[in-house]
Amino acid sequence: MRIGDFRASYAHDESLLITRVQRSWMIGFVGLLLIFPWVGGSYFTYLACLTGIHVIAAMGLNIVTGFAGQISLGHAAFMGVGCYTVAWLDKWGVPFYITIPLGGVVSALIGMLVGIPSLRIKGLYLAVATLAAQFILMFVFREWDSVTGGVRGVNIAPAQLWGWVINTDKDIYYLIMLCAGMLLLGARNLLRTHVGRSFIAIRDKDISAEVLGIDLFRGKLMAFALGSFYAGVAGGLMGYFYRAITPEHFTFTLSIFYLAAIIVGGLGTVLGTILGAAFMTLVPEVLRSVVTLLTLWAPNAMELLSPMREMVFGALIIAFLIFEPHGLVEMWRRARRFFHLWPFKT
Amino acid sequence: MNTRRHALKSVAAATGLSALGLPFTTWAQSGELVVAAAPPITGVFAFAGVGLNMGVNDYCEWRNEAKGGVMGRKLRYVSEDSGYKMDQAMAVFKKLMAAHKPPVFYGDSTAWAKAASVEVSQLGTTLTCSPSFASDLADPDKVPYYFMAGPTYASMCAILLEYINSQAKGGTKPTVALVYSDTEFGRDPIEATKERAKKMGLNVVQEIVTKPGSVDVSAEVAKLRRARPDYVIFHGYVLAPIPEFIRQMREAGMTSTQFMGTIWSMDKSTAEAMGPVGDGWMGVMPYRYSHDTKDAPAMVTMNQFAQKRRPDIKYVSTFYTHGWLVGSIFAEVMERVLKANKPLTGPNMKAALQTMTDWDSGGISGLPVNLKGHQIATGRIYRFDANAKLFEPASGWIKTA
Repeated sequence: MRIGDFRASYAHDESLLITRVQRSWMIGFVGLLLIFPWVGGSYFTYLACLTGIHVIAAMGLNIVTGFAGQISLGHAAFMGVGCYTVAWLDKWGVPFYITIPLGGVVSALIGMLVGIPSLRIKGLYLAVATLAAQFILMFVFREWDSVTGGVRGVNIAPAQLWGWVINTDKDIYYLIMLCAGMLLLGARNLLRTHVGRSFIAIRDKDISAEVLGIDLFRGKLMAFALGSFYAGVAGGLMGYFYRAITPEHFTFTLSIFYLAAIIVGGLGTVLGTILGAAFMTLVPEVLRSVVTLLTLWAPNAMELLSPMREMVFGALIIAFLIFEPHGLVEMWRRARRFFHLWPFKT
Repeated sequence: MNTRRHALKSVAAATGLSALGLPFTTWAQSGELVVAAAPPITGVFAFAGVGLNMGVNDYCEWRNEAKGGVMGRKLRYVSEDSGYKMDQAMAVFKKLMAAHKPPVFYGDSTAWAKAASVEVSQLGTTLTCSPSFASDLADPDKVPYYFMAGPTYASMCAILLEYINSQAKGGTKPTVALVYSDTEFGRDPIEATKERAKKMGLNVVQEIVTKPGSVDVSAEVAKLRRARPDYVIFHGYVLAPIPEFIRQMREAGMTSTQFMGTIWSMDKSTAEAMGPVGDGWMGVMPYRYSHDTKDAPAMVTMNQFAQKRRPDIKYVSTFYTHGWLVGSIFAEVMERVLKANKPLTGPNMKAALQTMTDWDSGGISGLPVNLKGHQIATGRIYRFDANAKLFEPASGWIKTA
């Protein structure tokens, strides 16, 4: 049983992974991520890519909503902005390592614009304002034919790096994981900066934060900009992942999906974002696999049980909210505490 | 007994592994031909998806029973619900492709078809189809391994226009209004339809775009009342807001205006759901309705098998017929490739598909089927008789390409 951490220097105290055990786990996890496409097969690699994209986008929403307390219902549209920026730049032959960050930047600018009302309104009113942004941007995606391809959408050429064509799930997996790793690290560190702390202060009590000298307008806009940047990058990656994009990819349902992911995972935590996005992506797959297994005994099980699957998924989310309002991250922490103290306390 | 146990264990293991998404290709290698699918059994397209799934499944079962499969190789249908969500449909596609390496795959939507076409073109192993009739997809050069078991939406509207044009009395051509939903589905055929109408000398007097399930249509109806079209073509809807349009226009005294739709609003169940305003509802259908079995042996076979396999089903829907036709085209393509002693690759199956220029569908389609352009550009106008609760033919079979 480990009973405490002894930190002998400021550098040690500031490090993200304090103990050797944590570092070992992280090395193991990164190693697993590196070999995953080689052992996981195309289906699991596809799911890992999808989860990676959802993790990045959900992290963006968690910065806006979980860290800074600003509700956004237009997150999917910000993804769309990033994706269409990538698609448009791609037509001019701009390489992916420029298009993806630029997609994020354009999305951040739009996000800041949408965030302007946040100084005057909050709560449900802000939710409605961001909802309006979702529908306005969807309208733009459908109507701006020359850039977005209208309702028929656009095709995006595969990303290339020095002649290496990134056109398989296995290849793009590494690009997605690299982006996810960097952005999650950025989000983790953000919380340790004055900017991140100002977000939390704004979330907890904005009037008190202002009294303490925090510029509310700047802080809220920055939260929207950062969150939208993450969404834009996720959208750009989604573009390279599917390579055929229509406005139907960025519907309001997707915005709700991300909101559910961060609530189920845990608001205001990086780990919660990962767990929530993974839960929302993978649980429907698991449930479908269960239904498929049941067809062994009942050939018509798919037709009968598929609608039940949606209900079970919904019930699972409700159950989490009732029995663990702090999200999956709290369950993870409890499990860790259990093993830290085992066998002396169970 | 041991053999049976062994077989059962194999089945269990195969299904179990497949359910978990792990590769398991022994069956395919041992001679079975896998027909894989990601039908939308749940979600907004479930009204059709259940029937589509049954149709493809039952065709495979019938083919195995009646003809011993394809060239002596049994067909095995594997499917998982897509929920009509593109990412889930792609997940099912990846899963089944990895687990079974199917030569043919049936998807769930336009979005899926477009996204999957990128990978399918890259792999060059699989011929695909889906319930989407999007005009972009009937392009053998850009989407080489995709076909549709019916006309594109643009071709459907062209068939409607051919019929409307044929109803011209004297020198006066009928006028047309287009009402469509603000979706990819709704907008798909509009430009081509307007162009075709212009060429035919038909005047499109009004064009109205609505939300897919729009409820308040009084403003739109007012526009139609002013335009007084002879025909109103609805596209991009399944049911709502069509009945509301018809009701309000009938109440406004427009009794001579004829209302028409395309494939997804033309099933018997949809027309019945319209209530009294459904009487006289017309539209284009690429297949015969299941009650129309004259000179259609395939329809008789299909109905009999559906009765035997699913005795609880009272009515064989057009969605089921679509699935059955998809299964039969898949089987025919594979048979042609195998007969030529060629491997079941994408290019070989595409070539075989394009040789189907005069194929007999057994009466499912009233004309010989031509799939050279990766679509079946034929259909017929039907009119719903609310008393008989049946769609009856209002025209002969019309070919547009």
